Formats: sequence, C-alpha cells, structure tokens
Amino acid sequence: MTVKLIGFEVSPGVLSVMMTLHELGVPYQIENPASWQALKDEDYITNKHPFGKVPVLCDGDYKITETRAICRYLVSKYQGKNNKTILIPNDVHKAGLVDQYISYECSYYTPPVAKLVVEEVFHKTSNPELVETSQKEIDKVLDVYEKLLNGKEYLNGEFSLADLLHIPFTHFIFSATKHADWWNKKPNVKQWWDRISNRDCWKKCVEKIKF
Amino acid sequence: MTIKLIGYSFSGPVLRVILCLKELGLPYELEPPASYQSLKDEDYIANKHPFGKMPVLFDGDFRITESRPICRYLVSKYQGKHNDTILIPNDVHKAGLVDQFISYELSYYDPPISKLFYQEKVAKRFLNEEPDPEIIKQAREELAKVLDVYEKLLEGKEYLNGEYSLADLAPCPSTYYICGIVTTHSDLWDSRPNVKNWWNRLYNRDGIKKSLEEAKSFWESSENI
Repeated sequence: MTVKLIGFEVSPGVLSVMMTLHELGVPYQIENPASWQALKDEDYITNKHPFGKVPVLCDGDYKITETRAICRYLVSKYQGKNNKTILIPNDVHKAGLVDQYISYECSYYTPPVAKLVVEEVFHKTSNPELVETSQKEIDKVLDVYEKLLNGKEYLNGEFSLADLLHIPFTHFIFSATKHADWWNKKPNVKQWWDRISNRDCWKKCVEKIKF
Repeated sequence: MTIKLIGYSFSGPVLRVILCLKELGLPYELEPPASYQSLKDEDYIANKHPFGKMPVLFDGDFRITESRPICRYLVSKYQGKHNDTILIPNDVHKAGLVDQFISYELSYYDPPISKLFYQEKVAKRFLNEEPDPEIIKQAREELAKVLDVYEKLLEGKEYLNGEYSLADLAPCPSTYYICGIVTTHSDLWDSRPNVKNWWNRLYNRDGIKKSLEEAKSFWESSENI
C-alpha cells in the first residue's frame, strides 16, 4: 500500500517529508486538503491532526503527524530498503549528533527564517522593521553555522536528515526574497547551501512546488 | 566513566535530562556553570554549546547538546541496561508516535507555558521587568486551547501513547513550573480531568517528584545567579 502524504506542496514541512521520501526511494501519493481553512474543520482535527496542521502521513492504517517525527519514522522504517541513502547513521553517537543538529534547526535556525518567509513570501507583505530585526538574528545564527561547517561539507560531516530539514525554508529565501546575500557572504554556509540545494531529490521537489 | 551533565538543576531543559537519567537508572555528575553570563563566554561557546545554552552532556569524550536529543541518545544507548524502564518502545510505529507527542510538547505545549513562567517568575527576578498582564492573558488562552487538545488525546489513556514514555517525561519540568511553582494557573490542569489525572500520575513517579521538588527551592528563594 502506498504511503499517503496529506498537505500542500508549498508548506516547508510537507516539502521536507517529500524530500525524505524521495531520498529514501519510497513512492507516495500526495493528498491536498480542500483549503488551508479546512485544516480547522472538526473532521480534520479529529481524523488528521489534532492541532490542525500539515503534514500528516498515512502508511497503511498507521497515521503520524509532525514533520520531524514523520521524517525520523520514515528513516527508521525504510532507510536502506530501497536504496543505500543514509539520512540517520546507525552508530548511536553519530545519530545523536544528527538529532542535535535537527534541534539546532528547529530551535535557532528556522524560527527567524520562517518568520521572514511567512511575511514576505506567503503573506506577500513588506515589513522593513522585520527585515532589520531578522537580519540581525539570522546573521548571529549563520555566524554559528559558519563555524559549525568549518572543514565539513555537511553539519555532521556526511549528508543527513539534519541538512535536509534546512532546505525548504532556505529555498524560499533564495528563490523569492532579496536576502540570499545574508547566506552568500559566509563562505562555508554558501558552499553548504549550494551543495544541499543541488541534490537531485531536492530538484524533483522544487518542480512540484505549488503556491 | 561517569556521565557529566552541565547545567543548573532548576532549569527546565536540564531537569528534563535529569529525569531521563534517573528513569534509566544512570549515575551522573552535575556541573553547574560559573554563572548564567558564563554561557556567553568564548570558551563555553567553543567547547560546550555553540549557541550558549544548557544542558550539555558529556559521555566520556562524546559531547551532545539540546535536551530532547540528549534524552533520545541516552535511551538509544542505555535503555534496558540498568533497569526495565522503556522510554521509547522498540516497535518502529510506537516509537514514531512517541516522537510525534514529543513534537507536540515542543511545538504547542511548551511555548505558552514558557511565556507564562517568564512573566510570572523570570522577568522580575532576573531582569527587573514588571509582568505584562496582556501577555499573561494571551498565554493563558493559548494554553487553555492546547490543554483542550491534550484532554482529548488522553481520553481512555493513562499516558499519551498508552504506556509511559519519553513523551510524558518531556513535559514534566514545564508542567511543574506552573502546577508546582507558579500555582496561579494550575486551574487550567485541575479543570480538565484527563489532564489532571495524567499530571498526578507523572508527578507521583519516584524519580520525578524528588527532582522537581529540588528545583522548587531555587525558585522560591530570592537567590540570584
């Protein structure tokens, strides 16, 4: 039975799950809810996501929600089954560090980036004050990333789920805002972004983005 | 070699790791930092946590940061080694749901609690700021909606995923901050039977009660760090 992914192909969380499915070679079907408003319907809340969010993944009778939990589940179940791609290493110490970098993404990187992307790209509003505060905050975070990536191609040395989860929101910065230079002026960060955004699986996902 | 945990035992994320160590039966040494300010020192940033946070865990030469990854690492490495406690089930589907509930805690449960605790305890104590009644009101409303969801999630269940897991341990520090320390808002839990029973069950677990009450004395005193 095919994996079913519920969500919109513009939601960064949904795009992260799509990329994970592609990387692991797992076929899937995507099901768009009727609208963003439909996510607040009683039916959606009861049967799909109790907090009214996307993505939701159905694997046969099994339902799981929350982007990073879904990705980790897919890795646990399918990594190595359809191809050799490793998104979370088997070694308990390396896996711990990948998890740590996922937490950095969730706690420090995504919040300021998402705030700016939601405002400029999804709501299409211009907010110079937000740009100014975002730049300061994102610059501090990227300074840390510049150091973390010193002498490394990827956050944990080899490509992992941690790098993957940074891609969708960053893609919107590069493709739909004027702020790419905040990343490009830091050499390690720039090279890391070029590397991860050029992965075949990400290019396939980009083709599917629907606003 | 003993596990070394860097942080203050009254800090929520540090407490989360302490509870996990206790549940797994793991001995550890707690090393408090010199001060909150020292977390921003170049040395701390370079050798402990690149974003200047706590907790940080050293397991021999291995260093890992961020409370929930630290907990998951400890479970991966030590679950079943010192006792029978299962914090993450071995079954991939059950483990996925535990992970999902941990994500609910991080994304929806913790944020309004942190706002409330900051306004009611941290602002005045550390930053000489007056609590903002508007923020408190909004945070309470947000938390009420979240607890309504938890009330349904816990219907017919003792724990979020049926059996006790890391998903129930993870919200203990922040829940205690409100229900045990800033008790003005504990009515939000008390008025919801499933949530109330769930919290009572968690609070009364051996390892948990003692560790949480040790944190209380710091917040009740007027000592500054």
